[in-house]
Amino acid sequence: MSGNNSTTVGTLRGGNLQNRNSQRSTLLKVVILGDGGVGKSCLMNRFVSNHFDEHSFHTIGVEFLNKDIEINGEAYTLQIWDTAGQERFKTLRTPFYRGSDICLLTYAVDDRTSFKNLALWRSEFLYYADVQEGSTFPFIVVGNKMDVPDSEKQVSTEEAQAWCAENGDPPLVETSAKDATNVEAAFGAAVAAWAQLEARLERPLVEDTVDLSKQQSPHRSSCCMPVSGAE
Amino acid sequence: MLSISSEINRESSSMDREFRKKGNQRMMHFGNLDESHPYYMIAAARMSQKPETKPVTVGRIYWKFAAFNFIHKRIQETDGGFFENLGTLLAEKVRAQEQQEGPLPKRKDEKTEEEEEETEDDLSEEGTIEEPVEALLETDSDRDENEHATNFLAESMGWNIEELYAALVFMIQHQIGYDVSKECELETLLNYLQNAFKVDNDVHERVLDETRNMEPPEMHLNVEVIEAKELVSKDSNGKSDPFCALYLESAPTRRYNTAVKTFTLSPVWEEHFELDFDAAETVPEKMSKVKDVKGVRGLVKLAKEIAVTATTGSHDNEFIGRCRIPLKDIPTTGHTMWYSLEKKNKSKRRGVVKLRLAFSAEHNAQVAAQEYRHLIRVLLLHEIETQKIEKYCWCGRWSAPAEVLLLQHSAQRGLLARNVTLAQWIEYARIHQEHPLNFTVFNKLAIDLLRPMENGLFSPDETKLFWDATKKLLYSCLNSVRKIRRLPAGDKNAMTQLSAILGILSSISSLKVPADCNLFPAKMYSWFLDPDEAPSVLQALEYTVEQGGVEWFEHILNNNFPESESDEDALKHHIKVIQLIRADLQNAIDNYDKLFIKRINLPYARCLYMTYEKRISDMCMIITEDICGRLKRIEIENADVELNLGTTLFELYLALQRYAILGQVLCAEGQLEGMKVQSYHEWFRAGVAHWLDIAVYKALKRIDRAVEFDTLQAVDNSVQYSSSAVDTLTIFYQIKVFWTQLAWPDIEGSYTFIAKIIDDICKCSIAYADKMAKKAELTTDLEQLSESSVYEKKFVVSTAWCFAINNIDYIRTSIGPLANDLGLQNIVDALAESKTQEEAERCQQTLQLIIDNATDTVRNKIIELLQVVANKMAPAMNRYLMEGAELIDTTSNSMERLLQYLDSNLTTLHDYLNEDNFERILLVIWDTISESLFQLVHNNLERRRPPSFYSNLHRSLHTLIRYFNIGADEAANVRVLEKIEHLLELHGLETAELIHRYHQERIKEQNELDESEYGQITVKAQFVDNSLNIQILNARKLRPVDSNGSCDSYVKVKLLPEEKFADVKLPKTHVQKENLYPLFDEIFNIPLTNEQRNMENAIVVFELKDKDFLRSRFMAEAFLPFSEIAKTGSDQRIESLEQIHLMLSRTDVIQALEHRKGDNQATEFLSKLSSKAERK
Repeated sequence: MSGNNSTTVGTLRGGNLQNRNSQRSTLLKVVILGDGGVGKSCLMNRFVSNHFDEHSFHTIGVEFLNKDIEINGEAYTLQIWDTAGQERFKTLRTPFYRGSDICLLTYAVDDRTSFKNLALWRSEFLYYADVQEGSTFPFIVVGNKMDVPDSEKQVSTEEAQAWCAENGDPPLVETSAKDATNVEAAFGAAVAAWAQLEARLERPLVEDTVDLSKQQSPHRSSCCMPVSGAE
Repeated sequence: MLSISSEINRESSSMDREFRKKGNQRMMHFGNLDESHPYYMIAAARMSQKPETKPVTVGRIYWKFAAFNFIHKRIQETDGGFFENLGTLLAEKVRAQEQQEGPLPKRKDEKTEEEEEETEDDLSEEGTIEEPVEALLETDSDRDENEHATNFLAESMGWNIEELYAALVFMIQHQIGYDVSKECELETLLNYLQNAFKVDNDVHERVLDETRNMEPPEMHLNVEVIEAKELVSKDSNGKSDPFCALYLESAPTRRYNTAVKTFTLSPVWEEHFELDFDAAETVPEKMSKVKDVKGVRGLVKLAKEIAVTATTGSHDNEFIGRCRIPLKDIPTTGHTMWYSLEKKNKSKRRGVVKLRLAFSAEHNAQVAAQEYRHLIRVLLLHEIETQKIEKYCWCGRWSAPAEVLLLQHSAQRGLLARNVTLAQWIEYARIHQEHPLNFTVFNKLAIDLLRPMENGLFSPDETKLFWDATKKLLYSCLNSVRKIRRLPAGDKNAMTQLSAILGILSSISSLKVPADCNLFPAKMYSWFLDPDEAPSVLQALEYTVEQGGVEWFEHILNNNFPESESDEDALKHHIKVIQLIRADLQNAIDNYDKLFIKRINLPYARCLYMTYEKRISDMCMIITEDICGRLKRIEIENADVELNLGTTLFELYLALQRYAILGQVLCAEGQLEGMKVQSYHEWFRAGVAHWLDIAVYKALKRIDRAVEFDTLQAVDNSVQYSSSAVDTLTIFYQIKVFWTQLAWPDIEGSYTFIAKIIDDICKCSIAYADKMAKKAELTTDLEQLSESSVYEKKFVVSTAWCFAINNIDYIRTSIGPLANDLGLQNIVDALAESKTQEEAERCQQTLQLIIDNATDTVRNKIIELLQVVANKMAPAMNRYLMEGAELIDTTSNSMERLLQYLDSNLTTLHDYLNEDNFERILLVIWDTISESLFQLVHNNLERRRPPSFYSNLHRSLHTLIRYFNIGADEAANVRVLEKIEHLLELHGLETAELIHRYHQERIKEQNELDESEYGQITVKAQFVDNSLNIQILNARKLRPVDSNGSCDSYVKVKLLPEEKFADVKLPKTHVQKENLYPLFDEIFNIPLTNEQRNMENAIVVFELKDKDFLRSRFMAEAFLPFSEIAKTGSDQRIESLEQIHLMLSRTDVIQALEHRKGDNQATEFLSKLSSKAERK
C-alpha cells in the first residue's frame, strides 16, 4: 500500500506479507470541493504532509495525494483529489467526481460567498458523481481559516450548523490549515461518516460475480476499489 | 535427505544439464548450494535465459500483437470496436482525410526563392486558347443571354448600317499602305463584308456601283520630322544650321520647310506636316488600272516618293543630303523610322533623319470612332457566328478580311491608336456581356489604356464611355471570381484567364474613378453589405471573394443534408460540410492563392478562410455544445447508441482541429485571436470528459469479455501471457491513440485529462486483476475436477494461474510506459513554460503519484493472488508435513513427496511465471509453509505427540530451509523460523534428552545471572581419578521460606542425567536451623565408574532444601557441569582449591515434560519438580 518505491522490496518480502493480510487497508477516494481560495490544497497538504505554504498557487485542474490513516482500528488509504475551485476549471474537475467515496465541501469562515456556494458545490458533485439526489452520501462540511480574527469572520458556527441540518446533516468541522487545527479531525470525521454509512447500508457483497451495475449503486460508482475490509 | 534430492535430480537431470552448463560460471555465488538442489537448477535455468533488453513501449507491445488481434476480433466485436473506432480507426480515417485535403501550405517566410520563381508560370504567355472554358459563367443563371442575343445584332445594325457598309466598300476599293491585302483579294473582302453586314446581293451591287463612282478619298500623308543626327558639317566652325524641306516628287515645287536649328549636327524639330495629294492628277490613272493591276497600290502610285532635303545656312542653302521614301513602303498604320541621307555621287554618310509617316483622311474624329466601334461590333459578331467561337475563347484574333477592314477603316478615318484601343475596350466589353470573350484581350487593352487615361488624353465623352464599359467588364470580372469554383481546377487556360482578370482589376484599380461614376451599383452587387459605400476595386474584389465563399458555403449546405434528424447524422453532416469547405480552401491554396497575391496582392486563401471560419464556427459550436450538453450522464442501457455518436463527435473535433491549424498557417498572428475556431476544443470538453467516462465503462465490459474468452494459454511461444492481457492492453493502447489524436491544445486541460486517463487505466487494471483471479480459479478447478478420482486430492499449480499472474503483471508493467506515451513529459514541460516551474513540478508529482498508485495497487493485487496460490497449496503441504511427522521412522517418503509436490509446482511456476513473480511466489510459498509448520507444531503441542513427531518435523524444516535457500536470504522470515526451530528441537528430543536439555538450559540461565533472589552457594569440587570430591562450604542470602522469616536448610547433591547415575549414592549435608546464611562445610567423596566419570554433559546439581516437620521443601538449585570441575592428583587437598560460587535459581516452565502424561520418567520428574514447586 505504500506509494514509496524505495520500500517496494520490503513490501514484497517476508514479514510484511503477513501484515498485509492481517491489516488490509481500505482504499477511499476523497474529493475536496469548494470555492477558489478557501484553502482546499492547504487542507490537503496539511493533512498529508503536515506542511503549510502561505503563498500557494491556484490548483491547476486537480492535485492528488495519498495518505494512510487508522480510524477505530481500521486502516484506510485515502486517495485525496484536490480540485480547482475556479469556474474555468469546471469541466476539468468534474470528471473526477465519479467513483468517489467521500466529499469534503469546504468554505472559508471569512468568505461568506464561499459558504453560500456550498449548495452549488453539493449539487455539482451529486450531478457529476452520478449520485442520486436525496440518497445518502458521506459529505463533510469543512469551514476553513478558523485562524482569522473574530472580527473578520463572516460565517458563524451556528449558521453553518443550521445549513448542515437542512442539507442531509453532514458533520461540520471547523479547521485551520494554517495552524493545523482540526485538520486530522476533519478527515477522520469524513472516514467515520463513510464507515458509518457503509455499515448502515450493509450492502450484500457481490464480490463473486462481476457486477457492472455496481457503478450505479447509490453512493459509489467505483467498481474497482476493493471493497475489502468489510469481510 | 541427500538421497531425496538426488532422486529428484535424476528425474529432471536430462533437461537441466544444459542449463547447468551454461549457468555454471554465473552460479558462483551459489557456491554453498548443493548442485542437485532444485533451487539451484531453477536459478541456473533462469540465468541461462536471455534477458529482455529492449525497452517496453505500449506501441511495441501493441504492434507485436496486431496480427494476433486480427484473428481475435471477437473481443472488439462485442462492443462494436468501441476503442478501435476512437483509436486507430479514427486515426486512419483522419489520415485518409488529411491526404485528401492535401498538405498544409507553407508559411510565407518558409517559402524558398525557388518556389517564388515557379509561381511565375507561363501565365503571362497568353498564347492561343482554343479549348473552350466551359466552366466560366457557363451556367450562370444571373443572365438569359440567349434571349438577348437574337435582338442584339439587329440592334447594333440599326444605326445607318447601310451608310457604314458603303463607306467600307469604298474603303476597301481604296486601300492604303503596302502591307495589306496581300493575302486578301478585293473580292474576298467584299464577300466577307457582305456576309458580316448581312447585306443581300441587290443592295451590295447597288452600293458597289455607287462607291465606284465616288471620288477617291481625300488622303493626307502626315509627316512628323522628329530629329536628325550625325549630320555632315558644312560650316567652318564644324557645325551646321540645318533645316528640312519636304515635298512629293509629283509636286516638287510645293515644299514644306522646318525651322532652322542653328549650330548643331543633331537637330530636334518635332514638327508636323500634312502633305496633300493632288486628286486630279492621280484619280484617273488609278481608276483606269483598277481592273487590270493586281494588288492595286492605290495612293502609292500617285506619288513616287517624298524627298527630304536638309540644307544649311539661311540664305545660301547648302545641300546636306536627301532621302527618298516610296509611298508604297509606308504601312497603313504608318511608322516611325530613321532614314539615311544621301547626296548624288557621294558615298560618304551624310547623316540620318527620324521621321514619322502616316496616312490620314480628313474626318470627324468622333464620327470616325463611332463608326469604328460599330464596325468592330458587326465584325466581331460575325466572326463569333461564322467561326463558331466559344464563349471566353476569343482573344483578339481576327480573320484576315476582318483585320483588313478594321485596319483600312482606322487608317482611312485617321483614328489614333488610343482611339482604336478605347473603341475595342468599349465594344468588346459590350459584346462580352452577351458572349464573353477571353479576358486576356481586356487585360492587354487595359494596359494600353492606362497611360492615356492617366494623362487625361480622352475627351469627357470618351472617358464616360470608358468607365461605362469598365463597369460592365468589372461585373464580369468579379462575377468570374465569385464563380471561381466553376473553373476546372489546375486548367492552364482557366488560370490564364483568371490571371488576366486579376490583371484587369489591378490596372483599373490604379485609375482614379470619376466622382460621378458608381463603378459598383448596389443593384448589381447585392452582396456588398453597405449600398452607399463606394468601395475601391480591391475592396470590391475582397467582398466578392467573400461572397464567393458565402455562396459556396450555402451551396454546400443546400446540397448536403443530414440523412436523418439524429445527432449522429447531424454530426456527419457537419463533418462533410467542413470537408467540402476544406477541399475548397485547399483548391484555393493550391491554385489561386499565389496568383491573387502576385497579381493584385490579395491573400485569397486567407480571405476565404476567414469567411468560412465564421460560418463553420457558428455552425459547429452550436451543435457540439448542444450534443455535449446532453451527454452528461451515462445511460447504461443506451450506451451503445451513444458510442457511435462519440466517434462522430471526435471526427468533427478532428476536422475542426485541422481547420484551426490551417488557419494558423494562413493567417497572421493578430487575426487568430478573434477566431472562434481557434478555441474549438472548448466546445468539446464535456464530450471528452464524457467519452472518458464511457471509455471506463466500455473498457470494464470489454475486459469482462476478454477474460471470458481467454483460454489462459500463451498468445504465442515467445511470451508468457494470454489473450486477455493483449486485449486489455489493446484497450489502453486505443485510449492512448485516441488521446494522441485529440492533441488537446490546452495544457491545463491536457494535464487533468491525462490524470483522469491514468486513474481510469488503474481502475481497469485492478478490475482486470480481480477478474483474472476468478478466471484462474475457475479454470484450475475445472481442470483438476477431472483428476479428482486420484486418491490424493491436492491443489496443483496450473499454468492457468501462472498466466493469470503474468497477465496482471504484464498490464502492471505497461502502465508506466503507457503514461509516458500519453505525453506526460511534454505536458509538464509545457506547464513549466506557461506557468511556473514549481506548479509544473506539483503537477508532475500528482501525475507520478497517480501512476505509482496504479502500479502499486495492481502489484498488491498480484501479491494477493500469489497468496491465494500459496494458500491453495497449503493443505497439501500440511498433509505431507503431517504424514512425515506422524511416522516414527525416517524411512518414510512423505518428505520426499512434499518436496516433489513443491518441486513440480515450482517448476510450473518457474516455467510460466516471469522472474519477478517467481521470486515473489517463492517467498510467499515459503511464508505459507513456514506458517503451516508453525501452526502444525503449535497445534500439536496440545496433543500427545511422540518426540519423533517433532524431530521429523525438525528435519523437514531443515530440508525445506535448504530447499528454499532461505539462509542465503536475510530478509526471509527469520523470526517465525527461529520459533519453529526452537520448538521442534525441544519437542523432538527423547524425554531423557529433553530433561537433560532442560538442565543444560538451567546452567545457561544460571551463568547469565549476576545476582539471584534465591541467594548463592559456595562449593569446591575436584576429580581425583574416577572419584568426585565435593566440599559444600556455605550458602548465602537464602530466601526465607518459614513463617519465622528464616529457613532450616540443607544441600542435597545430585548427578545428572539421573538415570546414568542411578547406582550412585547421593550425599546430603546436615540441616542448619534458622539460618539464611548457613555454614555447612562438609566434604563428600563420590566414587564413579569410569564411564560415569567421562560422561559428557554430566552435571552436579546442588539442591537447596528446607527441612520441615514432615518433609523437605525445594528452595532453589545450582548446577556445576563436570566439564568445569578441576582434575587433580590425589595429592592435592580439596581445601586448597578455589571456591566456586554458584547462583541459586529455579524455573517454573517445564511445559514440554508436562505434556508427556503417559511417560513415567517425565511424570516422575515433574512430580519431583512440582513437589519442589508445591513446597515453595
